[in-house]
Amino acid sequence: MSEAFAFLNDIVDYGPQILSGLINTLILAGTISVTGLLAGILIFRLTLSDNEIIRKSTARYISFFIGTPLIVLLFLMYYGLPQWGINFSPFTIAVIGFTLNIAAYNSRYLSAAYNGIDQHQLMAASAQGFSSRQIFTLIILPQTLRRAIPGLTNQVALNIKDSSIAFLIQYVDFFAQMQEQASLNFQYLKVYAVTGAVYLLLVSLVIFASKRLETRYAIPH
Amino acid sequence: MTFLEIVSILARGAGFTILVTLACILTGFFSGLLAALLFRLDIRPLNWLLHAFTYTFRGIPLLVILFLVFFGLPSIGLPIPPLVAMMLSLGLICGAYLSEVFRGALEAVDPNELMAAQSMGMRRIQILTAIEIPQMLRFSAPGMLNEFTTVLKYSPFAYTVGVPEILKEATSLALTTLRGMEIYLAVGVLYFLIYKIMMEMFLWVERRYAIPGFKQI
Amino acid sequence: MTLLQVRGLTKKHDDVGVLNGVDFSLCKGEIKIVMGPSGCGKTTLLRCLNRLQEPSSGEIIFDGEEITAAAVDIQQVRQRIGFVFQNFALYRHLSALDNVKLGLRKLRGLSDAEATQRAIYELSRVEMQDHQDKYPAHLSGGQQQRVAIARALVMDPAVLFFDEPTSALDPLMAREVANLLNRLHDEKVTILCVTHDVTLAKNLPGDVLFLNHGRVEAEAPISELMKNHANENVRAFFEQKAPSE
Ligand SMILES: Nc1ncnc2c1ncn2[C@@H]1O[C@H](COP(=O)(O)OP(=O)(O)OP(=O)(O)O)[C@@H](O)[C@H]1O
Ligand SMILES: [Mg+2]
Repeated sequence: MSEAFAFLNDIVDYGPQILSGLINTLILAGTISVTGLLAGILIFRLTLSDNEIIRKSTARYISFFIGTPLIVLLFLMYYGLPQWGINFSPFTIAVIGFTLNIAAYNSRYLSAAYNGIDQHQLMAASAQGFSSRQIFTLIILPQTLRRAIPGLTNQVALNIKDSSIAFLIQYVDFFAQMQEQASLNFQYLKVYAVTGAVYLLLVSLVIFASKRLETRYAIPH
Repeated sequence: MTFLEIVSILARGAGFTILVTLACILTGFFSGLLAALLFRLDIRPLNWLLHAFTYTFRGIPLLVILFLVFFGLPSIGLPIPPLVAMMLSLGLICGAYLSEVFRGALEAVDPNELMAAQSMGMRRIQILTAIEIPQMLRFSAPGMLNEFTTVLKYSPFAYTVGVPEILKEATSLALTTLRGMEIYLAVGVLYFLIYKIMMEMFLWVERRYAIPGFKQI
Repeated sequence: MTLLQVRGLTKKHDDVGVLNGVDFSLCKGEIKIVMGPSGCGKTTLLRCLNRLQEPSSGEIIFDGEEITAAAVDIQQVRQRIGFVFQNFALYRHLSALDNVKLGLRKLRGLSDAEATQRAIYELSRVEMQDHQDKYPAHLSGGQQQRVAIARALVMDPAVLFFDEPTSALDPLMAREVANLLNRLHDEKVTILCVTHDVTLAKNLPGDVLFLNHGRVEAEAPISELMKNHANENVRAFFEQKAPSE
């Protein structure tokens, strides 16, 4: 009993740091979710390009980022760039690395959704005289985004979880603070269990929001 | 030190990368299969447990589970070797995702064929091994490739618990040579190569067992 | 000699009677046709007979054995009843040959060589030996049907059940099925065949069991049933099926 109390006490004592860590986690996960979505849309747009060279290089980009671990990219920037005198903050590096990586996945979700939409509409739109740019923003994008909601929100949940690797490039997030806490009180099992529970809660919120979005923006058929 | 020399030093870690990846893939495959089959028994409390398993292992970051297993379990007298810690974290995470893939694929098996098998006098277990699992595995191929790729991409985190795989070699090399740029570029290339080889092997197996005209209906 | 004797068979789905006391018998070597309006319980009857669906009450005596008893090893019984489904239900991951072999290998424990030999013989009986390596997706409906028949025949069943064997086929193929059933009949195969198809029924030698609302309302050769029958449901049914005759 007193042991549990001491554990709680530790956490409360360390509360401000843990809270700032949690905020850092949310800032990073939130930022990369937005930038990853925007970059994903851009990459998806490029996969539809009329130019074969653009299409091919986009496919390579996607394949490369899906095939290589993100942590390698983060280390490359964190340990490699200073060699050339470039020093970015851990946050900047994390945002760049995650964005490049997430964009590849999001563009895949969008492509899958695009393959499911009725191609006749696109023909109808060009027959009506819309430019390909207009067709993309007015017809393709709204439909693929809606259809891709499950994949895209799943990616947000992944972003929250994956943001925890940023501590490896010294970004002081929630996980980093909890490790600090564990190394102080040696209660590894309890501290990591609490850490896991917090991530699970955050991910659950995203899943809940995703279900709401899905029903709200369902395309009637 | 040339780029090729860097690559050859890093390649020493590739064996461990492949070992970790394979061990976690096998753990994931069998735990996912077991979970999917146990779901079919449709026993209430068991379903609860299985849901809890998939939900937690899909909802908690790998590193948290890995550290919980590797640093947490010894504190209650359960020392876990690094490779086993990877299997219990990354392997079971893969299993949680795969169990969903497998469950979906099992539902895609045509119930008419199951009834035909039943009417032939086949027992439950025979129907499972002769009809359901062979079809389910084929339906699951794309999902399996996805999950296996994910395992490879998360395998570098094994370095955090001391497995001497590629990333571990890279960090020591980077410390001594201070040439992070080339080193991590080489690491990326190496992983991409392993990814390509793994994917080709998987696709080869898939083609080898492909059945003309066999599709999910 | 009676092979199958059914007495007072009922089947309820949530208190709604689908079969309401079916009685009939089937002799060795006989061919019997089950007809009746859609939803009258024909498929349910077939499935109750080998307990793919559990009957609610009644007796089914198959080859001298009461098979509704709980102690009966129903898998053993099913191995002696061949079942050809309306949609054929071939195992889509197995070639035609492997579809036919599966029962021999898994249920009879035959060696691969023996099973292959038997299966090829059975496929040639239905003239499918040239297609043995094809997969179901690449076979026409009629070809799938014949593989399904070979798959059932290969187990040496005491009786063969057919559920709507012609409904998924074009008229030409349907004619082939009638020929095939006749040939099997000549070879002394016992057959119970559910069908909507008056042409098929006319081309088969056995009596028709007319089922309505889960009861047998008439049992006679089709020619009699079609000739201004006393039962008004029978009249209505054939009137609608073949108004010109
Ligand atoms: N699982 C079930 N639950 C409730 N009712 C059912 C179920 N299965 C079948 N029925 C009902 O039982 C009746 C008989 O069905 P059955 O499939 O045996 O008819 P059928 O004579 O084969 O019809 P058809 O000629 O259309 O194939 C139908 O009214 C059907 O709606
Ligand atoms: Mg029917």
